[in-house]
Amino acid sequence: MKMNELQRKQISSVLSELGEGLDITSAEYQKAIDSYQAVGKWLAAEGSTLSPYAPEILPQGSFLLGTMTRPVHDEDDLDIDLVCRFSGVRAGWTQYNLKQEVGTRLKAHGMYAEKLRPEGRRNWTLGYSEGRRFHMDILPAVIGQGFFTLLEKRMSDEDLQIAQDMAIRITDTRHLQYKTGTDVLSWPSSNMFGFAAWFKYRSQVTMLRKALVLNEAIRPVPRMEKNKLPLQRVVQILKRHRDIMFNGDEHKPISIIITTLAAWAYNGEDDVLAALTNVVGKMERYVERKYDAIRQSYLYWIGNPVNPAENFADKWSLCTEKEKNFWKWLNQVKKDVALIAEQPDLFQLREAIEKPFGEDLVQSVFNNIGQQTRELRESGGLFMAGGSGLLGSIGRTQVPNHNYFGRHE
Amino acid sequence: MSKRISLLHQEGVLRSYFPDSSISRTGEQSLVWEGDLQPTPLSCPYRVKLVYTRTEGMGIYVMSPKLILAEGATTLPHVYNSADQKLCLYYPTDREWHPGLYMAKTIIPWASEWLYYYELWLLTRGRWLGGGIEHDQPQKKDNENNDLQFLNEHKNG
Repeated sequence: MKMNELQRKQISSVLSELGEGLDITSAEYQKAIDSYQAVGKWLAAEGSTLSPYAPEILPQGSFLLGTMTRPVHDEDDLDIDLVCRFSGVRAGWTQYNLKQEVGTRLKAHGMYAEKLRPEGRRNWTLGYSEGRRFHMDILPAVIGQGFFTLLEKRMSDEDLQIAQDMAIRITDTRHLQYKTGTDVLSWPSSNMFGFAAWFKYRSQVTMLRKALVLNEAIRPVPRMEKNKLPLQRVVQILKRHRDIMFNGDEHKPISIIITTLAAWAYNGEDDVLAALTNVVGKMERYVERKYDAIRQSYLYWIGNPVNPAENFADKWSLCTEKEKNFWKWLNQVKKDVALIAEQPDLFQLREAIEKPFGEDLVQSVFNNIGQQTRELRESGGLFMAGGSGLLGSIGRTQVPNHNYFGRHE
Repeated sequence: MSKRISLLHQEGVLRSYFPDSSISRTGEQSLVWEGDLQPTPLSCPYRVKLVYTRTEGMGIYVMSPKLILAEGATTLPHVYNSADQKLCLYYPTDREWHPGLYMAKTIIPWASEWLYYYELWLLTRGRWLGGGIEHDQPQKKDNENNDLQFLNEHKNG
């Protein structure tokens, strides 16, 4: 390989490490899973009015997509998005009834009663503050009859319909028939599982994507993956860039927009730098302009791939700051990525990634890189190339174990 | 004890690994190797000099560039001497290196690795991630390995 190709690979591995630094730890991961499974058991236990409807808590959102990103400040909550899925509801129940039954059941448990935060529009939220702070947003939802049969089918870009059919019914306190509609099919719909299937399909590391069995995308316990796919790393990196740039600003670009545009733009690149460069260059192509006949004006449209009627950018026309912030962010991230890609040495690379991603994170990235190399050497996996002295997992001679001796004078 | 490798052979292997390096040898008495090592594609090349004599043992030096210090540090890590940039690569009492080992397969990779951790030491603002033993905390090692002749010959780490 030529030197500049090797340099690109090295920048890419630093970025990949940057993404890994944004992952939650395996202990935090396990804690979240244990916690939501315990809640699920409590809702489904005998004696619960909900038990006939087989409640099951499943991850959704970034936790399911593998794109969860640590908050910039360690004292801020980790945010776990969950669905509480019911196979059906009692005849005559409205959205309100289901939501209240879930709330009542949670309040009947001493610990959950304490953790329960004020009712959300669609969710119940449980806040955990022992050790690492996190909260779980639990979205009550009802699946249709054909749901499990559907999961056996395959989807692809040519056939998004199947993923679209995965939509389930949710409750929303602002829905017109929140307290009156008893036909579940009239409840608001949401398609987080279809979205996850689509994202998983798009994240394949190839330009010729295989059709994907929907079931593969929604596991009750998503695997904790250490080696994530380039698209997952790209989304994490973009979200962190956004978090640092907007520092809590409520009008920052939302994660679902970043995730959707990145997934459309991703072209199966097998390394993070190539994927990131391509994605930031192409993502704006998937922001559409549509003519709104009622308002007689054009509006921005970022469609939900698994629910064509939903526009993720629907707030932009109501709040131009959101729209402006998106373009501002996109321009900045393009500049920052271009700068990162052209750095000729590690010191300038550090400068180029510290500002957009944060000094502490970058410090931990280089720390981890050093520890991994040391572990590689200790396990006999570090080699040196002849001619240059380059170190790596391949090379002419194995680097034998040894102990650096010596004081700091 | 492994058989001593002749300096003639050491020279041959060094030249084979680093065809562009310069080597001078005085019989079986001494050998000096000088070449460029670049631990990673995003590192600059460092000019490194290895000096070995039967009487004085091994010394390895970074000739250029002048090594800068991490923020807040006053000296380089794991060196005998910051001024002449003489590196400590192995623990002498354990005989991690002895004349029965090829320099090209031990000292040189360790030097490249030292440079690698030196860069990370700068990048992490003063963390040495390469492991090792501090001079200031000598570990009392079993003396059975400490062949006196070897120690005299290789008193430099």
